Amino acid sequence: MNAESFAVATHALSMRYGKQTALDAVDLRVPEGAVYVLIGANGAGKSTAMKVLLNLERPDAGRAEVFGLDTGAHGPEVRAQIGYMTESHEHDYPWMTCGRLIRHVAAHYPAWDQTYAARLMEVFGVRPERKVRTLSKGESRRLQFVLTLAHRPPLLLLDEPTDGLDPVVRNRTLAHLAEHLADTPTTVVIATHHIHEVESLADYVGVLSAGRLVAQMSRDELRRTVRRYRVEVPEGWEAPAELRTPTLRRSRGGREVQWTLTGEERDVTARLAAAGATVREVTPLALEETALAFMAEEETP
Amino acid sequence: MSAVTLQATPRWIDAVLEQVRVTGLSLRRDALVVVAAVLGVGTFLVVGEILTGGPGFDSDETIPTALFSFFYPFLVWRNDKRFGPAFLWTLPVDRRRLALAKVLAGFVWLMVGVAFLATWLLALALLADVSPGRMVTRIPFIATIGAYLLGSAVVLGLRHAVRWTLGTIGFLFLMGLVGDVVNRPNDGEWKYVPGAEAFFSMVLQFMTPWLSVPESAQWAMTTFLWFGAGLAALWAALSRHGERRRH
Repeated sequence: MNAESFAVATHALSMRYGKQTALDAVDLRVPEGAVYVLIGANGAGKSTAMKVLLNLERPDAGRAEVFGLDTGAHGPEVRAQIGYMTESHEHDYPWMTCGRLIRHVAAHYPAWDQTYAARLMEVFGVRPERKVRTLSKGESRRLQFVLTLAHRPPLLLLDEPTDGLDPVVRNRTLAHLAEHLADTPTTVVIATHHIHEVESLADYVGVLSAGRLVAQMSRDELRRTVRRYRVEVPEGWEAPAELRTPTLRRSRGGREVQWTLTGEERDVTARLAAAGATVREVTPLALEETALAFMAEEETP
Repeated sequence: MSAVTLQATPRWIDAVLEQVRVTGLSLRRDALVVVAAVLGVGTFLVVGEILTGGPGFDSDETIPTALFSFFYPFLVWRNDKRFGPAFLWTLPVDRRRLALAKVLAGFVWLMVGVAFLATWLLALALLADVSPGRMVTRIPFIATIGAYLLGSAVVLGLRHAVRWTLGTIGFLFLMGLVGDVVNRPNDGEWKYVPGAEAFFSMVLQFMTPWLSVPESAQWAMTTFLWFGAGLAALWAALSRHGERRRH
């Protein structure tokens, strides 16, 4: 992939809150036009990474670029390219009506598409006369979708976008998001720990664990290279060193071992056979299982 | 280079105008309360003067309006988290210029308030048989602006502005109490703080031109100094919100 085609690139981005490491030498690479799902447990550093991209937080080390613009040096220009949905449902201006808040945000984006905003309000059921403080979590999220999408930003940063939505509204919202992506050339970074909800949208996946980016690859590559292997091994068998590195997860029951391993299936199978194990079954993993395997590996001391 | 067509940032004047609109809306309810209070108290005082055959209503609003103007920025900024990743700072405007836009927005509405006060004073002057010319010299535009600049600097420059302000007021109050306790209240409460007495004497001296009809040179110098101090403090406070600073 050409380095110049990244919508988002971070270079050894590190940040601490006191003694807590939020980001540890993170090198995100989000290709233009891709939907990049950033996965991680609570506190893994997903929201902090987004705030650094908006120049809301300054890193202790490293730097970040959005469409080639340094986020520290070109904060306003970078933010003009971004539709940002914060993870919080609370808004700083609860006294406003939804319509007034939309006009307020619109005033700051010359590219604001009034017609599209009106359509989004209709689609998401946002009533302009409602006070922001009276909105439920789900309604607040739907208002945020209008505010985020209506200027058709080239980059969307969505932090837990489905949080607070009931299943029906969530599916409808994701369908509208897919429709928006089809109409408008957009790069999307979605931070979530509800992986299954956005699995169908994902082109790329990054896994953050305790501030470290432990995996970053395309969904196809992830599907192709991360597999669960059920193998039968002889009594007293110990895994050779060359099989330990790509191991994400292992469970053992008698002479049967289940491994989650990274690598091309043919290579891994050959290595297992060479080590004396008999492969009984190889199964691909869902995105969520894969992400969990990466996160579990990191949490293991 | 990226193949994406980048979107433009807004013109600063558009951001200022929007802040004027939004700040006006957010202050609407408070403004009604203040106007009702001012009208009520003013009417009460003037009617009282007229009924008791007093010498006529002779209001000097410099100190109250300066005090109000100092605390007014707290109202202007109450809905915004000034430090940290808040909604305001997600907007595509340079952070310092956006903060300045909000200060200007507050200033516009403050001047509207002062204009209202001036009209009210003139009306009272007519009602209470005081020369309108004399009242005009007491319209506290300069004191109001100076206090507003300093108040804005406190709000924008200090993360815990309320705590600092209350702490300072509490400290000064305590110094007054100390003065009372040692039975030397008339010597000035501030003399127990090294240099404070001289400082407050100087402050009062610089405010004198606004409390009476001043010489123009003295008035100009005082105004220049207060504006200079206010603008310098505001500039220092705004610099805390630069794009390249840690927030």
